[in-house]
Amino acid sequence: MCMLRKISLFSMFVFLSVFAVQAQNIEFEEYDMANGLHVILHQDNTTPITTVSVLYHVGSKNEPKGRTGFAHFFEHLMFEGSPNIDRGEYFKIIQAAGGSLNANTSNDRTLYFQTLPSNQLELGLYMESERMLHAKIDSAGIATQQEVVKEEKRLRVDNQPYGSVIANMLKNAYAGTSYEWAPIGSFEDIDAATDQDFIDFYKTFYVPNNATLSIAGDIDVAETKKWIEMYFGEIKRGTKEIPRPKIIAPKLDGTVTETVFDNIQVPALIQGYRMPPQGTDDYYALQMLTTLLSGGQSARFQKTIVDEKGIALAVQAIPLGLEDGGLFINFAIPNQGTSVEELEAEVDALVEQTKNELVPEREFQKVKNQIENNFISGYGSVQSISESLANYHVYFGKASLINTEIDRYMKVTREDLQKVAKKYFVAENKVVLTYRPKAEQEKPEDSKIKKEGGNR
Amino acid sequence: MKKIYIIALAFITINGFAQVDRTKLPSAAPAKEIQIGDYEKFTLKNGLQVIIAENDKLPTVAWTLSLNTGPITEGDKSGLAGMFGQVMRAGTTKMSKEMLDEEVDFMGASLNVGATSMSAFSLSKYSEDVLKLMTDVLFNPLFPEAELEKVKKQTITGIASSKDSPDAISGIVSSVVNYGRNHTYGEITSETTVNNVTLTDVKAHYEKFFKPNIAYLVIVGNIKKKDARKLADKYFGDWKKGDVSIETFQNTAPIEKTTVSIVDKSSAVQSVINITYPYDNKPGGADATTVSVLNQILGGGASARLFTNLREDKGYTYGAYSSMGASRYSATFSANASVRNEVTDSAMVEFMSELNRIRTELVSQEELDLAKNSMRGSFARSLESRSTVAQFALNTALNELPADYYAGYLKRLDAITADDILAAAQKYIKPDKANIVVVGKADEIAPMLAKFGPITYYDVDGNVFDPEAAKAAVSAVDAKTVVANYLKALGGVEKLGSVKDVKITISTSVQGQPLTITSLQKGNVMSKQTVAVSGMTMQESVFNNGEAKMSAQGQSMSVPPGPQLDALKDQSVMFPELYYEKAGYTLQMTGVESVNGKEAYVMSVKAPTGVESKKYFDKVSGLLLKEESAQGGQEIIEYQEVNGIQFPKRMKLNIPGLGLVDADVTVMINSGIADTEFVVK
Repeated sequence: MCMLRKISLFSMFVFLSVFAVQAQNIEFEEYDMANGLHVILHQDNTTPITTVSVLYHVGSKNEPKGRTGFAHFFEHLMFEGSPNIDRGEYFKIIQAAGGSLNANTSNDRTLYFQTLPSNQLELGLYMESERMLHAKIDSAGIATQQEVVKEEKRLRVDNQPYGSVIANMLKNAYAGTSYEWAPIGSFEDIDAATDQDFIDFYKTFYVPNNATLSIAGDIDVAETKKWIEMYFGEIKRGTKEIPRPKIIAPKLDGTVTETVFDNIQVPALIQGYRMPPQGTDDYYALQMLTTLLSGGQSARFQKTIVDEKGIALAVQAIPLGLEDGGLFINFAIPNQGTSVEELEAEVDALVEQTKNELVPEREFQKVKNQIENNFISGYGSVQSISESLANYHVYFGKASLINTEIDRYMKVTREDLQKVAKKYFVAENKVVLTYRPKAEQEKPEDSKIKKEGGNR
Repeated sequence: MKKIYIIALAFITINGFAQVDRTKLPSAAPAKEIQIGDYEKFTLKNGLQVIIAENDKLPTVAWTLSLNTGPITEGDKSGLAGMFGQVMRAGTTKMSKEMLDEEVDFMGASLNVGATSMSAFSLSKYSEDVLKLMTDVLFNPLFPEAELEKVKKQTITGIASSKDSPDAISGIVSSVVNYGRNHTYGEITSETTVNNVTLTDVKAHYEKFFKPNIAYLVIVGNIKKKDARKLADKYFGDWKKGDVSIETFQNTAPIEKTTVSIVDKSSAVQSVINITYPYDNKPGGADATTVSVLNQILGGGASARLFTNLREDKGYTYGAYSSMGASRYSATFSANASVRNEVTDSAMVEFMSELNRIRTELVSQEELDLAKNSMRGSFARSLESRSTVAQFALNTALNELPADYYAGYLKRLDAITADDILAAAQKYIKPDKANIVVVGKADEIAPMLAKFGPITYYDVDGNVFDPEAAKAAVSAVDAKTVVANYLKALGGVEKLGSVKDVKITISTSVQGQPLTITSLQKGNVMSKQTVAVSGMTMQESVFNNGEAKMSAQGQSMSVPPGPQLDALKDQSVMFPELYYEKAGYTLQMTGVESVNGKEAYVMSVKAPTGVESKKYFDKVSGLLLKEESAQGGQEIIEYQEVNGIQFPKRMKLNIPGLGLVDADVTVMINSGIADTEFVVK
């Protein structure tokens, strides 16, 4: 029985490896306008809908110290209207046209997107051009959005178990750089800002030469180009210099550890290793390691820690890829009866293994197959296509990576995996956060015993 | 010359564009027809209904099997359905879980199992391979005991962790107040109900419900209809049908008046407000489309009244929404937001005012058009997802809708008027017959909420908790009596006074390793505590007449005066309750709470050294049920008599960082422990 099993697995492997990687061919056209706005068009007439995305190359890392949270705050402000669109009307106009819209902000960029019935494309372009040309930045809007953003932080960070993980990770891993703070920023900085600060930020970053307009869906290319010229052509190129802070993070002085006492009952272990910028060879290898460790039920974390040892509720490797760095995050929640320390030892052992042993051939092929699957099934909507085209252009200057980035993964070898594991999974690169229930906090004597090696 | 000409032209065109009239919104081009894709539906001989929606946009295929089980009430085994899938997914009689996981992942595919469904997804080049694995799990599940034990443990950890989440707590208490704890929709999964689930229950669920005659197989993706038909027949054709008895849904009594339910979360920075009640709205029913337009206007999104009022106008919240679902059994209304503590009542006022306004005033034509257009767009966008057409087909079958139900959706939508909305609002929006559930900082928000209805307090487990009665019960009894009753229950003051030394051994296991805590106490002035793992001493503390030392892993240190020494001093007293009065302990009754189903007096105890703890005494037996302090705590599950004195026999220990562990206790009294045990070097 056992022998037979082996044979069938082997033959299956041979069978599978015959297939080449599934080709992907998303066609698009791109050009720069005179004012510097980059335009990408992808036509797909299957469903009568169209997504209009505008990606501004500004994120929390572009914020000056003392003004953290600005980029995200702007994301809210940009829905406040323009001289032609009254306060509170922005959402209504798009929705009345049958569209949906939203936006989000990362450390590197801010993305706005609306998906409309395709007969409303002109409206979508008009709406985006209005806020690029002359968004309404006034005290009334600022005051309301200040309250709203604070509620967002309370909801997502303060009132949420483990809600402050990313902020605490960045603070420790990227101290002294512009990745030190999370996009949500601080209440104090937003409160301290003057109206003029907001206007300056807008004039610096919300300019066509810092934006990419990406349109995907049921469009007529010629007509779309005409409308783009009509609505975006008159917007003036920005005159201010766009600050692009370099992220030069000095080596950490050994593993940085922090214990966070939070409103939780179940503790958690979060490890972060600093990663190289996205798009680098090492970055792709590290991405593959996250799949090796936690992609699917047979991945190493799941199989060893959750299934075989049964000591964790969940263990996940979650990569945070960024333009100028990033974090390889391992997030683990122990089952009741297991201490964070025991769990940490198991997680560390599996991470160490990737440094000491070459990944077996078959397991490596599995990781490649999983990546191939994710790559292909990720493009089921015009919205995801428009966003990816914009991302690839802005981060790598190469929108065609939407079809070819997979090759960069496939080029990675097993030896590369071991090499990057050795290079990045080191103490000088590592932050460990332990989240513990607040109830444990008021016990100085307890922490003392812990330091001396006690095991309570 | 030619060049100049082009530049001049460009100049003219740019000028031309500059004349765009930005004060007017561009008008829409003629709308394109919205087409719902087609699908094929047929039934196999065994009753399995198959729906195929072919779509070659992506080279992937999804297989979904849905069981029409009807309502499933779990009673004292609540949690079974939630755990079922993971156990069924854990290997087959042919293939261990490890092998199965390996094969699924190797294809980059996924395979999921739930209590009422199964699904598989892969690139189309693997569609038959993944189908083989899916049907192996369907027909030959192994149901390994170890997996059940694992998922139980995870579920229990999950329950503990959900008590951190105000949204999860709000969900639990909302379902309890809407439906009652004994109802299918109001059942609460607890550690006890999870532990009640056996492998026999898991298998019984499988035997009862996994039958083709209540199942729908939905195939979506890049697969030819002909091939899909062939595969469905090949892999599901031999599935044996069987009788399935479907439970009858119990309708709940309508709510008579609006009340407020508060759950205290003292660390909360926001109040989670949910205004909710059960109501009747069947999918495809006469009012179903009107109700969804009504909800769209009231709180269906960022242009709706609730969002506009509470977020955009007032800045109380990040988002305020309503939802009015449709259900074959019972739909639930909800209007909800998370708002900062101090505006909880203002937010409630706005909620109630919006609920009343939509019942009394006609909505404007503009709002109605906005809602309808928005829903029309959302319908069109939903058609981009290739699973939508299959979902429509499945809904049509499950809810016995007319075949053209979805094709006629836009027409029905168009026909709805402001009068229809008003009539629906008067019928379905019930601010005066609602449950208002608020999770937040009770002492701050409760006084503000009394004006919205009589207040009932709930704990995080959905139990009614009566702070008034607790206070009344407390005032009826004083701490001295509780302590006296406790001492009497232990064996009486005289007996306790005759104890010269005690040796208590607590055995538990952590991570499969035996952990032993040994405590020696003598003459109330000497004590020693040893913690050993697998027989190896990890940590030891000794106290002797005001001096103490601690050692851990070979290192030893004397304990300087301070809180730690004080704690060790307290630990040397065998029955501290005997000396509460004499030694100047501060005792305060703080309430009555339930501990493992027993009513208990809660007493806060402050030692003269400043060390504080909370003790829970059984109202009936007088014995200690639970103790909590900054160092952790314990629950006493069972007592034993040793030389006429009651001592714990089985306990649950709460060890910081480890959570709750079960422990057994053995006790020896007056065994003549030598003073040499308590040497402090």
